[in-house]
Order: sequence, then C-alpha cells, then structure tokens
Amino acid sequence: MQTPILEVKNLEVSFATYAGTIQAIRGVDFQLFEGETLAIVGESGSGKSVTTKTLLGLNAANATVKKGSQILLGNTNLADYKEKDWDQIRGKKIAMVFQDPMTSLDPTMTIGKQIAEPMEKHLGKKAKEAREAALALMKDVGIPDAEEHIDDYPHQWSGGMRQRAVIAIALAAEPDILIADEPTTALDVTIQAQILNILKAQQKKRKMAVIFITHDLGVVADVADRVAVMYAGKIVEKGTVNEIFYNPKHPYTWGLLSSMPTTSTALGSLHAIPGTPPDLLYPPKGDAFANRNAYALKIDHEKQPPFFQVSPTHEAATWLLDKRAPKVVPPEEIQKRQAYWQEHFVKEG
Amino acid sequence: MARYILKRALILIITMWIVVTATFFLMQILPGTPYNNPKLTQSAIDQLNATYGLDKPVLVQYWDYLINLLHGDLGTSFQYQNQSVSTLIGQRLPISAQLGFQALVVGVLLGLWFGAVSARNQNKKLDGFLGVISTLGISTPSFILAIVLLFVFGYQLDWLPISGWGDSFSQTILPTLALAVTPMAITTRFVRSEMIEVLHSDYIQLARAKGIGEDQVIQKHAYRNSMIPILTLIGPLTAGLLTGSTLVENIFSIPGIGQQFVSSIPTKDYPVIMGTTIVYALMLMVMILITDILTAIVDPRVRLQ
Ligand SMILES: Nc1ncnc2c1ncn2[C@@H]1O[C@H](COP(=O)(O)OP(=O)(O)OP(=O)(O)O)[C@@H](O)[C@H]1O
Ligand SMILES: [Mg+2]
Repeated sequence: MQTPILEVKNLEVSFATYAGTIQAIRGVDFQLFEGETLAIVGESGSGKSVTTKTLLGLNAANATVKKGSQILLGNTNLADYKEKDWDQIRGKKIAMVFQDPMTSLDPTMTIGKQIAEPMEKHLGKKAKEAREAALALMKDVGIPDAEEHIDDYPHQWSGGMRQRAVIAIALAAEPDILIADEPTTALDVTIQAQILNILKAQQKKRKMAVIFITHDLGVVADVADRVAVMYAGKIVEKGTVNEIFYNPKHPYTWGLLSSMPTTSTALGSLHAIPGTPPDLLYPPKGDAFANRNAYALKIDHEKQPPFFQVSPTHEAATWLLDKRAPKVVPPEEIQKRQAYWQEHFVKEG
Repeated sequence: MARYILKRALILIITMWIVVTATFFLMQILPGTPYNNPKLTQSAIDQLNATYGLDKPVLVQYWDYLINLLHGDLGTSFQYQNQSVSTLIGQRLPISAQLGFQALVVGVLLGLWFGAVSARNQNKKLDGFLGVISTLGISTPSFILAIVLLFVFGYQLDWLPISGWGDSFSQTILPTLALAVTPMAITTRFVRSEMIEVLHSDYIQLARAKGIGEDQVIQKHAYRNSMIPILTLIGPLTAGLLTGSTLVENIFSIPGIGQQFVSSIPTKDYPVIMGTTIVYALMLMVMILITDILTAIVDPRVRLQ
C-alpha cells in the first residue's frame, strides 16, 4: 500500500467551558492517501468539524489538542504547531471549503480579490498576475462571464455561485489536501449536484486528496473512496465505500445506513437512531454507543472496544467482532437497502 | 448618487424649517423679557420693542424671521448691541468647530485603537482595564472632566494653560481632552463589540484558513467590516460634543459659540439663541449626511436611493 500523505494518530481535542472540559475528540486515527476522497460521516456533534478544523489549527480559542496527538504531514507533526507556523499549511497544503456560502465570503471585498489573496501570499504572484489567475480559476469552477463578474461583491451572487467562489478560494494556492465540511448542505438539491461535480472534477484534475464531511450517505456513495464513521468523538468504523455500504460491522453504522432516505417508497420510512449521543463533559466508560445499541453486550457498558480488523482496509470498534461474541446479522432494513443500492449505485472495484 | 444627495438635501431643508419653527415658538413661551434693567421706563421698552420688531403680532414676526433667514440674516443681538448674529456666530464658530473637530478625531481614533485591542485580547487583563476606562469615560460628564483636568494639569502641575484660545496650540489641549473622553469611551465599547462579532464570523474563519496571517486577517477583513457600523456613531457623537462644548467652553473661557449660547439664555437674547440653535442643528444634520454618504462608499451592500 502507498504511504499516506496525511496521518492522524491518537488525536484528542478538548474544550474548556464554564461547565467543565468537553472531550470532543477522544482518540481519532486515520490516514489519507494521495488523490482519494475520504468521507467522514456521523451525527451532529460527533466531532467531524472539530477533527478537520484541528488539521488547520482553526479551532476556537478554548480548544486544547492533547499532548501526544499526532497529525503527520510529511515529516512534520502539525499537532505541535504554534499560531505563526500554521500559515505555511493553511491554504497552501490544506485548504477548506466551508458549509454556508452566504456567510463565508467577506461582504466588503470583491470576489476577485478574495480569490487572488492566497495566490499573492503563497504563490508569490503580483496583484496583476493573481487577478489573471483568479479569473482563470473562476472560469474553471464554472462561474459564467467571469470577466464581467470578477469585481462583484458577494451580495450580488446566488448561493450556488458563492459556493463556487469559496471553492475557487480553497483551490487558489494549489493545496494537496482539500477539506469540504458539508459543502452542499446549505444549497438547493439541483445546485448540490453541480457543486459536487465541480469538486470531483477539480480533484481529478489536481490529484488532490479530499476529506468530505457530510450527513448525506447518498453523497458519500457518490463521492467517496473510503469512509470513516464517527460517533461521540471517535471513529467507530472505517473502510472502503463498498465495505461500509455492503458489509457494515458496527451497530452505529447500521443505524446510520437504515436512517438513509432512498427514493424508493418500497423501503418504507426513515429509521432515525433512537436516543441521543452521550454528554461529552462526562464521556462513558465503555462503548459510547452502548445505551442506544439494541445489540449491546454487557462488556459494551464496561470497556471500550478495540478496533477489530475485518479486511486489510476495513476495521470496526465493536465487541460484536470479538471471537467470544454471539453471531449477529445486520437488521433486515439494511439488507433490503443493500439490494436496492446494488441496483442503483454503479460502483466499480 | 446625485439624486440621493438631492433628496437628502431636501429632507435637510424641511428638518431645518421644523427646527426653526419649533425654536421660534419656544422662544415665545420662554419666561421673562430681554429687559432686566429696572431703570428702563415703559416708553423706552416700547421703543426698543418697536426697533426689534417685538411689537408686531407673533405670526408676522415669525414670517419676517423666515424671510430674513432665507437671506442669511439671523437678526441683531440684544446683548451685544448692533452686532448681527451672523457676525457673532461667524467669529465664534471656527473656534468651536476646531475644538469639536479635534475632540472628535482624538476621541474616535483612540476609541478605534482601544476597541480593537480590547477585542483581540477579549477577556484578558488589558480588555478588563480598557473596559473600566471606557465605563468611567461614559459615566463622567465632560464638564466634570474639564474641571479635573484643569485642576490637575493646569493648576497643580502647571503643565498646560488653563484658559483662553488662539495664543498657542497648548491652550487647546485640555479642552480637547475633556471633550474627547466621551467619544473615546463610546467608540471603544462599540468597536470592541463589533470587532468581537466580526472575529467570530464565518468569513473571518475563511480568511484565516487562507494562511495570510492574523495581522492581514484583521487589517484586510476585520477592520473594514467592523468600521461600517461605527460610522453611524459619528452623528450621535457630534450631538454629544455640541452639548458638551457649551459648558467646557465656559470652563476654559473659550470664546466659542457654546459659551455665547450659554450667556444668551439668561439675557433672553432671542436672536442669538435661535441663531445658535439653527447652526447646531445644521451641523448635526450635515454630519449625519456625510456619514451616510461615507457608509455607502465603504459598504458595497448599501445602495443609495
Ligand atoms: N468552541 C467550543 N466550545 C465547546 N465545545 C465545542 C466547541 N466547538 C465544538 N464543541 C463541541 O465539540 C463537539 C463536536 O462538534 P463538531 O462541530 O465537530 O460536530 P460535527 O460532527 O461537526 O456536527 P455537525 O454535523 O452538527 O456539524 C460537540 O459536542 C460540540 O458541542
Ligand atoms: Mg460540523
């Protein structure tokens, strides 16, 4: 297997609040390989945004990255970075597309200037060159009549167009890694598809690795090579997209997959996972999902499960995979869906 | 833009007319008369009334006043005989304007600086210290401050002159400071809260993600965005300075319109009271108009219409 371009090891992030210390990220490990798309999925509050913001040193001021956490980019450990070091990484090595295009752009600066800014800083372009390059990039991300609109201000544009500008800003300094944190959630369905296509095309063209955060498993099936499932500050299962959809092992992944809406009415209604995630001020001793897990074993409440290797590319942290555990099959709901996916998602490999 | 300014100018004229009318009729109900010399005989008073037109019906007086005003004639002062009000104001206005302008510039610039420093050090010691300063600044009236400054720096330490105007720049320092503290304190608080909000916005997060460095993020993105709402402060700050200056000018014996305004009230010098009020109102309206135009220039979202 190739060497990863980014490797996160035992990442722990906490937030100091008046109520106490929130253990938002509790030991996250993953690798990112050149040119691939890794999707991170999980319920709200599971730590997807915090994990990726940590990769850019963009967490709120009350955040602490625990000593011993490693974020390896080449030979450097970003977890040790001081504020001033980050500017060598942000935009240039790792860039980010944010969720809400309506609020992500500076309302008082022209779009062209906002796109040119990272080019001037990281690529050493002069103002005029950077403007030319920004124009080319605007065309590249599908902004029509870019020449006429380069000096527009954000308020003159629609959400979909603004998100293209946000993507152009992220691509401006030619990063190796692009993080997209729910880049289509705030947009209309028709626009969502356009934005996804732009991201996919740019990734292919630039051979970037992409970390794609989403709630939408349909989008995951569309864009991802590999998937990491997060719950309560941990990754509970990761594997290739086929492994996650067709051979999921963690009951939480089962829950997510059965809550996935499909266009087929035959599959019935959505199955939201009952219960709520644990309070991360007081993280539970055992498996954080245990109290919502219909398949929970006694040990789930007492001891955190280690990762069990399912295949060289697939692992899941659930005691159900232990040799001593009773045999459990995924719920019927999942099996029905798998048959449906088989017909609708044409996935090679 | 031209149409916008024209429309605003029209509104300004109507507002000025309302101000003139209101002050004129308020003068009528001001108790007492301009004649407080007990030796004046009734016939002398009648004669004076005739000279100044005070014997005519009120509505005629009002009409005359409006017509004269349109010709730039604000009447003649009772107190300073044979001096036209426009001449009086014309002599004194530049002094007050200079004082007010100095105080506004010093106050706003310090406020911008303190506010930004406070916001960038939110909840740290420096922020707390500046918070105390601005609270004190807002709650202390400028005339109290004037007296304190005068006593400490003028009298006790004898560093700066304590009164007068026009002989040296140093005479302007204490009154400027006394007047600058309120705008400084108000601007500090306002900038702090605006800036904190802006620093937490999504577009600042995106700017940070560009790797251009925190200083650039502040200078190119945070300042401009927090500055826009601050422009709206200039109008109210000017109003505060106009009223503050009346007492401060008196304390430092500065021959500005504020001082004259104060002395014109007990003597019932109607033309001076009215003329000064009109000038104050006009200055305030023009300041507000200027800030609105400035806002439209710096904020691309504001369309002038
Ligand atoms: N500045 C902060 N102070 C305190 N807690 C925080 C802060 N930022 C995030 N958290 C906590 O960290 C946890 C993870 O948040 P995060 O934003 O990563 O969730 P997420 O998976 O991205 O959710 P969503 O799908 O809603 O975006 C949450 O419990 C959240 O309350
Ligand atoms: Mg999030």
